Amino acid sequence: MKRAALALAWCTLSGCATTAQNQRARLADPMMSVTDDHLETYRKQKLYTTREGAAGGDGVPAGGGCGCQ
Amino acid sequence: MLHRNAFWRTAFALAIAIVPKIAGAETRFSDAEVLGTPPAPFRIVSVKTRTTAIVQTGRGYQSIAGAVSGQPGSQNLTVLQPQIEVVAKQGERLTHTVWAPVDIVTSASATAIDRRRTPVDVISTASAINESAALDWTTDYKVDADTNVFVRAGLHLEEPYRSWTFGLGGSKSFAGGNTAVSASAIQMLDWLDRFQITGTRIGRASRTSSNVNLSLVQILSPVTVAHLSYGLTIQEGELGNTWNRVPLLTGNWDSELLPSQRVRHALVGRVAQWLPWNGALKGYYRFYHDDWGIDAHTAELQLHQRIGRALTFRGSYRHHRQSGASFFTIHGLAEARLRTADSDLDLLSSNAVGGHLSLRYPWPAWREVEFEVGYERYFRSNDLEANVVTCSVGFQF
Repeated sequence: MKRAALALAWCTLSGCATTAQNQRARLADPMMSVTDDHLETYRKQKLYTTREGAAGGDGVPAGGGCGCQ
Repeated sequence: MLHRNAFWRTAFALAIAIVPKIAGAETRFSDAEVLGTPPAPFRIVSVKTRTTAIVQTGRGYQSIAGAVSGQPGSQNLTVLQPQIEVVAKQGERLTHTVWAPVDIVTSASATAIDRRRTPVDVISTASAINESAALDWTTDYKVDADTNVFVRAGLHLEEPYRSWTFGLGGSKSFAGGNTAVSASAIQMLDWLDRFQITGTRIGRASRTSSNVNLSLVQILSPVTVAHLSYGLTIQEGELGNTWNRVPLLTGNWDSELLPSQRVRHALVGRVAQWLPWNGALKGYYRFYHDDWGIDAHTAELQLHQRIGRALTFRGSYRHHRQSGASFFTIHGLAEARLRTADSDLDLLSSNAVGGHLSLRYPWPAWREVEFEVGYERYFRSNDLEANVVTCSVGFQF
């Protein structure tokens, strides 16, 4: 728990230092996208949420749109 | 003297006559040259397709297929899932994303059990093919350089099943784009046929799913970015597919009985870290809790490695662990108020290991072309496994 709090504090505090636009070349690389592309996201959701009773929370509703959730 | 003055007078007159024409020729720019080319009123930005094939084997107590009394039935099935996504810009501020997934599942459909009056299972071997398709349209409006709002509408069609989706949301970035927050609300309405486990259609049922999502993206350094999101979903109505069965202590089977409401919370954290050898490491963690008694932890690691200029390899490992629903049983009581034997709602852990290879290449006719192939193996602790092959082709214009 203490380690998690420290990690969170580190993330939050280091986030206070802004990164200028001309320093974001690495972040603009497609490999650095924090989310998968839309079609890959759907593929993974379909695979996992229809086989595990714990869906939702990734920006999409749990259930609905499919008779098997 | 007079002769020399006449020469200079003539030269001066010629200069007056010619120079403005030359200067005029140089400064006569078209409106487009001065103001820039006006944006096309409508242009397609990208087209992407993905096809996924899933072959699943396993057994579950909710399935009747091939089951003898007290034993789980088959969950074997094959899925073919093509998808297409088209992104188009309308003017400077509007972006439309049209997405159409199709699922073709070689499992029995509710239509199949409705035609057959014998107990068959719709999740495995009743040999029918079930097709479903959806159309989802999202329009994003760029309010200013830091603010976007969107509306989304969708329709899902399946043989015994219809679903409508409507959503809206927005995002705002701060601190020179170092921080972005977004919020969305999505409402879904599902309408489905109700069946008995013997295959008789007994009318219709419906469910609603109301969902809100909040998320934060924070740049932590020139090589690190983090994402945090929370999602709440409240579902009401018929929350099962109505044809799952539950084995009873008596040796018989009866229908699944589920609560009519479910409140689900999920908290997700992601971090992407650039690696000095032209790669990236991504971490994902998700905590899930609902009022059916399921708590789940999911973690995933992805390693991306560029090979040369155009080729990228992605390896991934995912682990999921969940507790079971409080009313899960494989020896149900006839008088029970709630019961399920659905293996998805059981205590379980699962693992998925995958590898993807993608090629991004500038193409003369387009800005970029991307090909991707991937394989993933999914295996679950309670007798279920799936082999997944996926490939995609994308064009950016």
